[in-house]
Formats: sequence, C-alpha cells, structure tokens
Amino acid sequence: MSATMIDYGTLGERAAAGVKPKALSDEQKIARAKEAFIAGMDADMATYLESCIHCGMCAEACHFYLATQDAKYTPIYKLEPLKKVYRRELAPTRWLNRLTTRDITVADLEQWQELAYDSCTQCGRCSLLCPMGIHIQSMIQVVRNGLAAAGLAPAELQAVSDEQRDKASILGAGPDKLREIVERVRAKGIDVPLDKDKAEVLVLSSALDFLKDEGVLAATANIMNKLGASWTIRSDGFESANFGALAGDKQAQKRISKRVIDAAIAAGAKKVIVAECGHAYPVLRWEAATLYGKELPFEFLSVAEYLGQELKAGRLKLKKAGNGSAHVTFHDPCKIGRMGGSFDESRDVLKALGVKLTEMESHGRTNLCCGGGGGVAMLKSAQTLRRKAFELKREEVDRTGAPTVVTACNTCMQNLEMGKAWLNWDKNVVNLVQLVSDNLA
Amino acid sequence: MNEGLYLQGMTLLDFARGPALRWAVVIFVIGVVWRLTALLLASRKPLEPAKGSATAGGVKTLLTRSAPAHELEKNIVFQHYSGYAWHISMFIVLLFFAPHMLFFKDILGFGWPTLPNLFIDFFTVVTIGILLVLLARRLMNPVLRQISTMDDYISWIIAFLPFLSGIMSFKHITFGMSYETVLGLHILSICLLLVWFPFGKLMHALFIWPSRYKVGAAFARRGVRA
Repeated sequence: MSATMIDYGTLGERAAAGVKPKALSDEQKIARAKEAFIAGMDADMATYLESCIHCGMCAEACHFYLATQDAKYTPIYKLEPLKKVYRRELAPTRWLNRLTTRDITVADLEQWQELAYDSCTQCGRCSLLCPMGIHIQSMIQVVRNGLAAAGLAPAELQAVSDEQRDKASILGAGPDKLREIVERVRAKGIDVPLDKDKAEVLVLSSALDFLKDEGVLAATANIMNKLGASWTIRSDGFESANFGALAGDKQAQKRISKRVIDAAIAAGAKKVIVAECGHAYPVLRWEAATLYGKELPFEFLSVAEYLGQELKAGRLKLKKAGNGSAHVTFHDPCKIGRMGGSFDESRDVLKALGVKLTEMESHGRTNLCCGGGGGVAMLKSAQTLRRKAFELKREEVDRTGAPTVVTACNTCMQNLEMGKAWLNWDKNVVNLVQLVSDNLA
Repeated sequence: MNEGLYLQGMTLLDFARGPALRWAVVIFVIGVVWRLTALLLASRKPLEPAKGSATAGGVKTLLTRSAPAHELEKNIVFQHYSGYAWHISMFIVLLFFAPHMLFFKDILGFGWPTLPNLFIDFFTVVTIGILLVLLARRLMNPVLRQISTMDDYISWIIAFLPFLSGIMSFKHITFGMSYETVLGLHILSICLLLVWFPFGKLMHALFIWPSRYKVGAAFARRGVRA
C-alpha cells in the first residue's frame, strides 16, 4: 500500500503556534500540579510507590533507555515529581520523608515535561518487568495530569486537546471534514450510512486517518457492508482519538469520550468499533465508563477485536491473501495489546488470510513499542529520540525476514512509515483493516 | 527488683537480648501493621466490564513475577540472579545456623535441622560480597545513582551490620572487646534492623506482595498476563 505520509510533528507545531501559555505564577503552577497529583493518587499507586526498591531494572524494559542508555529515561525516574509529592504529602512516613525529600520546584516540573511526554509512550512494558510489580505506566498519566494542570503540557498536545474539547475537531478536521470524506468514499461506490438514527453497531473513525486520505474509512465501510451489519457512523460522535487523554487534561478527556458515549446511546448501538487508533482503545474501553460515572449499555471493541469475533462467528469470510503480503510479521500496538488485552484476534485474521506469520522476538505482551504512541509522534521535540527508539523496532522486524509489517494502529502505522523514510527501509507496512478489506471473499 | 539497680548490673549482652530486643520487636510489629493498614484504603472501582478475573491474575502475578519473560529478563540477568543469591543466602544464614535455630527454638518451642558451619561461612561471605557489589553498583551506575535516596544507604548499612557483627562474633574477631560484647552488638544490630524496618525500604519484603498482586490484577482485568 502506498501511504501518503502525514507529518504530525509539523501539524502539531502549527496547532501549537496558536496556544497562549497560561498566565500562572510559579506558586500557582506548583499548587495546581500538587493538587492533580494528590487527586490522581489512589491506594494502588500508594502501594506501588511504597514498594519501589530503587533497583533501576525498569530501565531495561524501556525502548527509550535501551536505545540511548541515558539514565534519565529510567521509567521510575519519570515519576519523580509525583513520588516526591507522595513522599512529602501523603505517605504515612511523611514526617520522616520531609527531612530527606526536597519539595518540587517549577524547574522540576519544566524538566519533567520531556520525561513524562517526549520520552514515554505509556506502552506499559516496564510494568511487566518490575520485580516489585509497580505499574509505572498508570502513574505516568498522573504526572501528565499534574503537568497539564500547571499549564506545562506540550503546546502541541494542549492545543489539539483544547480544540477537540471545544470544537470536536482535530487539527481542523471535524464533522464537516467527515462528511467530505464520506462523500469521497461514496464516490468509490461504497455505501456509508452516515447519521442513521438507529444502528446495532456504531463505527468510529479518526481525523488521524482521514487527514491522510479516505482509505481507512473506505476499507472499514467495505467490510461492514460485506458483513451485512446494521451500522452507522455519526457526525456527532465519530472521533476515536482523545487528545485530552494524551495531553493529560482529565476534564477534556472526559468531555471528549462523553461525545462518543452519547452518540452510541442515541443510536441504540450494542457495539462501538474503535478505529485503528492506539490510545483510543484503552481510553474508551478501560477508562470511559469510569469517567462517565455509569456502566455503559454497549461494548467497545477495537477493529481487530471485532474482525476476530466476526471471523470466529463465521460471518467474516476471507480469501487467501496474495498481494505481496504472503510473509508478514505483526507489530502489536502497545495500547491494543499490552494495555488493551487484544493479541489473538489480529493473529486469527492473519491465519485466515493464509499468510505466513513470523513473530518478532518481542511480541504479544512483551512487544517493543514503535516509539510513536502516547502523543509522542506529535512532538517535534521528541523526533530525534523517537528515531533512536525506532532502531530497536527495525532490528526486530528485520530479524523476522518478513517483507511486510502488519499492524492495527494508525500511530504505529505512521511511525513505521516515517521509519521507512528515515532509514530507507524497504518494508511494506499494511494495516489490518486494509488487508481484510482487500481480501474479502 | 528496682529497675535502676537491674539496669546497673546489666551487661551489654543482657541489655541487647533483654529490653532492647523486646522493644525492637514491639516497634517492628506496630510499625509494620501501621504501614500496611495505611494502604488498605478503598481502591477505586472501575466500571468497565473486565476481560479476565482480577483476583486470579493478581495471585498469578504475585507468584510468577519472580521469573520475568525472556525478552524482558535478558537485560537484567545480573540484578535478577544477584537478588536471588542474596535473599536465599540471607535466609539460609538466618534459619540454618545452629545458634540462630536455638534462638528461635527458645521462642517457638520447636527446632529444625541446621547446616554445618562451613556452609554458614560460605553463605555469609556470599551475602556480604553481594551487598558490597550492589553498593558499588548503586554508587557508580548512573541509573541507580539518580534514583537512590537516603533510605537506600541507611537500609544498606542496617542490612549489612548484622552480617558484619555476626561474622565477627562467630569468628571471634573482637578488636579487643569481649566476646559477650560483640554478641551483644550483633543482637543490637538486629534490634536496629527491626526498629528501622517499618520506616524504610526493608518494608519491600511485605509490600512486594500487595504490589505484585495489584499490577497482576490491573493487567488481568484487561485480559493480559502480567
């Protein structure tokens, strides 16, 4: 597949240019960060922080540390401001800790922007290695919440988060752009039931897909039509991505995911299919109901999960794939796999397609991140670091000998495409939904 | 007997195995219970339907985290096995040195077989050696240096002293002190350990279990083996 590349970094930078920094004094920044840290801290996190023995083993799971050997990328170190606030304000031994732990400063918070955003994709690999069982990934989000509250989220992410919260669009692509894209898909002879009143399945899309072209939506629509599903895509709740979550702006995250929930309830949907967008899946599947405050009358599925289910039920019928994809390796998107719990469905689909699958050394739950998730792909400041981390991925892919990498996440896809350009790398990168759409029997 | 007179007639050893040890145990027990209950706050209940049993996953991770997956373990071989060697040697010395067993037998009322002293010598040297290597690593490795706190060094000293004083009394390396005094110092080093235990990182011996359980449960809820 020849993908038109979009450079999120440049788009993000353009968006960031419009952001006015919040006029907060140093004291206000610290107070707001502390407030968010304390609000985000729960009993589980307290247990994790109490049990850290400062062994540094988590570094050995992190692609950013492994690629650079720079000590500051040690995952637990990325939590340092949160740890300090916990030690001084919440820990049972705080009276003792105050003697040995210095309070956080604005300089700390500013310095940690790079560590909590640029150098963490929240892939969760370190949480699987820690001998004490510390869930570092879950606490990075609290660090981001604190930095965002202090007005210290990267301007790119904050700008898009504000835009998405207020206008329901991402980088200028909102409901109008969706309608335009739907028309383009229809022009290809593929029906798209836009804004149907009632449907069993609500399909989500993402500006991150259609900023590039209409390909992914066309492929998805093609599959849904072939399955004969009662489905719709709604202009009042179509966006999978959630920049509130990426920026660490919890209120924005809540408001953005509520849009999807409201649209699904209005449509009476039983299933909501989250587009191939990494963070979107765990944010909707594992966080949305709790933020919403109620159990939901429908289920969230990633595209891969839905395809896997339909395959198992015998409704999805596939031809054996020929088009240059006969030998593939599968890149597990961290957010769908390790942080989402879906590994087998994508592999079942590949098996049904009859392709030869060679796994990378790190696959499934221990998969190595491509380096672009968690909003990192948007950050211009993270580009050099991202390239270095990508080297590790490239090595693992190369060792499989497969000419094609299949994945099921838009960001992974973009990052792999970028990697091809950076390294003059001769791999085909294909997304699962496209592969399935091309091979419907 | 008058308490003042009682204290006056006491040797360091009497003090160490009498009131010092008693109070150290009291502080240890109260401290540990307090630290653990402080964490038994209500966890937030997620509203999303789970993909797997959190409880089963928690218990599984609690047991299996001692052996991480190959892809993750290959970079931590040294830390992993030095950790095993240290903890196993420490427990062997603690439980299978004859005088230690007799000390516990006094309290518990039953004993168990012990190891010949030659083995105890060996395991004591292993523990001391590993502690020294790990300290050097903590001081020199940039990853460790930047995440180390006062607690790490205090806890290191407190863990080191019982072995140092233990080998001194066992080998009669007394630097002119009486054997009883050195033995008294050994017991006092244990008292110090018991008193410090609830306040520093030695608590990891207990926190490891809820922490592993929780990470296992969090991942299991999402259908992932942690």
